[in-house]
Amino acid sequence: MFRNAELEQVEERARASMGRWERRSLGVVRAEDAAEFARAAGESAPRLVDPGHADFAVHPMYVVSLLRGAPGADASEFRPDGMYRDEVPGTDGLGVRLMAGGQAVRWVAAARAGDRIELRRTLTAVERKGSGEGFLLLTVEKVYGSARGTLVEVTERFIVR
Amino acid sequence: MTGRHIVVGQAVLPVELTPDAITLLRFGAVTRNAHRIHYDAEFARSEGLSGPVVMAQLHGCLFHRAAAEFAGEDGQVREVEWQNRAPARVGERLVVTGTVRAVGGVDGEITLDLVEHCGTGDVVCCRGRAVVALR
Repeated sequence: MFRNAELEQVEERARASMGRWERRSLGVVRAEDAAEFARAAGESAPRLVDPGHADFAVHPMYVVSLLRGAPGADASEFRPDGMYRDEVPGTDGLGVRLMAGGQAVRWVAAARAGDRIELRRTLTAVERKGSGEGFLLLTVEKVYGSARGTLVEVTERFIVR
Repeated sequence: MTGRHIVVGQAVLPVELTPDAITLLRFGAVTRNAHRIHYDAEFARSEGLSGPVVMAQLHGCLFHRAAAEFAGEDGQVREVEWQNRAPARVGERLVVTGTVRAVGGVDGEITLDLVEHCGTGDVVCCRGRAVVALR
C-alpha cells in the first residue's frame, strides 16, 4: 500500500490500461522546425541547422522529442503542472508529481522533411519502487511511423510520486 | 568500411552543453513541452527540486551527439539509451563522456558506455549507452 491515495489511484488506472494501444498524430515534419530544434539542442553542424544545406538531415532526436505536433494543444489538455493530461498514463486529474526516468531510442529509418508522423504507444509495465513513500515507475513502448513504415522505436520511463 | 581501428576501452571524446534559461525556453517551445519544472523556479521548488531542470530529451540529444561524433560523418547512430540519475539544474555544465564497451556485434556494430556529469563534475546526471555503426 502507498500512503499516498492518489498514487494508489494512478497504479490502479495504469494497470487497467496496460496493453491498450493509443494513437497520436504529430503532424508533418518541416525542415525549418527540425533545424530550429537542432539549434535549440546546441548543434552547429550545417547539415542539421540549415534547411537549405545540400545534405540537410532532420535531427534524429527531433521526432522523438516532440510532445505534440502543430498546432499544439488547447488549454484544457494541460495539467496544472504544465504537462499534458494524457502524457503519463493514469495521472489525469491527480496531484501527483511527474519526472522523466529515461529513454531507449532505436532508429529503424531516418525521418525526413515531409513525413507525416504517427505515434502509437502502450503502457507495458507498472512497478512500485523505493521505500517509504515510494514511487511508481511506468514503462511505455512507443512506435513512430510514417507512410514509409516504422521510423523509430522508443522505450520511455516515467516516475510518478 | 572505415579504416579506423576501434578497441574496447577506447575513449569517446567528450561533448558538452551548458543550457541556460533561454536554451530551455527554446527547446521547450520547439518540442511543445510546457512542464513547469523546466522554467518556473517556484513551482520546481514545490516539486522538491532546487530550481528549473533540464529536459530529458535534451540529455538525450547530448548522448546522441557524443555517439554521432564518435561514429563520424559517414557513421550511423542506431541506438541511444539513457537513465536519469539526478536532475540537472539550469545553467549547469553538462559533459557526456564514454568508452567503447564492445566491438564487432551485428554488422560490425560498436557499443559505447556513456555517462553525463553535471555541475562541477562530481554528479552523475544520466548513464546510458549507444550503438553505432561505422562505414
